Amino acid sequence: MEALTAHLSQLGHGLVTTVELTVVTTVGAMLLGIVVATLRIAPVPLLRAIGTAYVEVFQNLPLLALLVLFVFALPTIGITFPLFTSAAIVIAVYEGAYLAEAIRAGINTVGVGQAEAARAIGLTFGQSLRHVILPQGLRAVIQPIGNICIALLMNTSLAAAVGVVELTQAANNVNLVEAQPIAVFTGAGLAYMLLALIIGQVTGLLERRLAIVR
Amino acid sequence: MSILKMSFTGRRSLALTATAVAVTLAAAGCGGDSGGGAPTLPGNPGLGGDGVVAQSVYDAAPVATDADIPAGSTMEAIRKRGYLNIGGSLDAPLLAQQNPVSGTIEGFDADMAKLLAKYIIGKPEVKTTTIGTQTREAMLQAKSVDAVFQTYTITPQRATQVAFAGPYLTSGLAVGVRKDDTSIKSVKDLAGKTVIVGANTPAVTALPSAAPGSKQIAFGTDPQALQALLQKRGDAYVQDFTLLASGAKANPGMKVVGEPFTTEAYGIGLNKEDAQFKEFVNNWLKKIQADGTWAKVWEGTLGSVVEGGAPTPPALGSADGS
Repeated sequence: MEALTAHLSQLGHGLVTTVELTVVTTVGAMLLGIVVATLRIAPVPLLRAIGTAYVEVFQNLPLLALLVLFVFALPTIGITFPLFTSAAIVIAVYEGAYLAEAIRAGINTVGVGQAEAARAIGLTFGQSLRHVILPQGLRAVIQPIGNICIALLMNTSLAAAVGVVELTQAANNVNLVEAQPIAVFTGAGLAYMLLALIIGQVTGLLERRLAIVR
Repeated sequence: MSILKMSFTGRRSLALTATAVAVTLAAAGCGGDSGGGAPTLPGNPGLGGDGVVAQSVYDAAPVATDADIPAGSTMEAIRKRGYLNIGGSLDAPLLAQQNPVSGTIEGFDADMAKLLAKYIIGKPEVKTTTIGTQTREAMLQAKSVDAVFQTYTITPQRATQVAFAGPYLTSGLAVGVRKDDTSIKSVKDLAGKTVIVGANTPAVTALPSAAPGSKQIAFGTDPQALQALLQKRGDAYVQDFTLLASGAKANPGMKVVGEPFTTEAYGIGLNKEDAQFKEFVNNWLKKIQADGTWAKVWEGTLGSVVEGGAPTPPALGSADGS
């Protein structure tokens, strides 16, 4: 227990970075997910192909490999981002593929009649998407989106491998001094659990408020 | 100029990928095991060439008598099992690196482990579990490995959790910079600079006091940290002198400046409760230091990049915590 309490500020900084990384990437991944899901149901074949290619590429590569490539391979062609930015971009792009699939599943729950009716009253594809399909589709998959956000939170720990001092790296650093991995990582694990529970609670609340009962 | 640089770095990353693939293949069992490692270089008798200890060193290494191995002891369990189970690394050149061709693990730490195995079992049979520096204590407490050979720095705090035999090697933190950098000549010049360190290395805790005002970035592995230095993510790389020296040898783009500024005593990590095993390992260390085996292993591995002959082995029990 002392191993933890003696380093609270160090662990606290790590926790703040983890929360920041999670919030920034969730917003980014959500926007990307909506765009990619839209591409996948677009009437233009080329756009659908782009959407499919995006999901196939990023769902089928390990996040750690993507992180290492982004941080160490891009500088060889002259592109270097700060480490936090790198990690945020990669995790958002990766989780965006998963969110896109969840959102597409949501869109599929919207009855065909809804889209036909939207077209019948003269809405364009963009308008019917914005005003009719997405609002219903997103509300149908709040729970799966919440689960992906929890997975995203856990995946931020991989940023430690490329030099971002988030909660896992902070725990590593504390353990380096204290040499008590079980105490230190139990503490870090409980912090992750707490954050995941918060996301779960928010998801449940949104689900009760917004979900459409069919 | 920029195109030249691009093609140069591009080739390096290709080479890195090729090495990674080769290592993966070797780890998957595709690499043939030639037993004695790489062939001995002609004109270099006694040394097994570049970073490899010659077979003759193993042949001459001591084996424990039956009287040294009491019934019911850890040593007896290892002898019955037929191999020594250690925790170590595969990616530390000259200390413990897997040869992508032969699949054998070479370097000072790896060879010390093999010699301990020979001492206990009669043949250098070692099974290496690669472990992260964050799980060493837990692995030893759970008895998942018999011993840890991984440039494991002896500290009093760690000694409350594990037992350290040794020290079997001393070294220290030094500073690596890019070859064209002339502004940093020693650790004193690091104030206000961005410094790359290996995550979970003593540099993380030593740097703030040795170079006040420096900013730290940590990477998980030594190759990553080296790459980060060459890609200018930081001004310097603070790491153990032995690792820096081997890194400088493999990467012409970096150099080591100044002398080591700390003293690290490396110990063999053992289960805290097993005082008998610790005494046994310490006796073995005494033997191989006295008969010159220790010096031969040093010369074959770290000695291949450090000028001058083998240093005097550290006195057993000389580090606080050993």
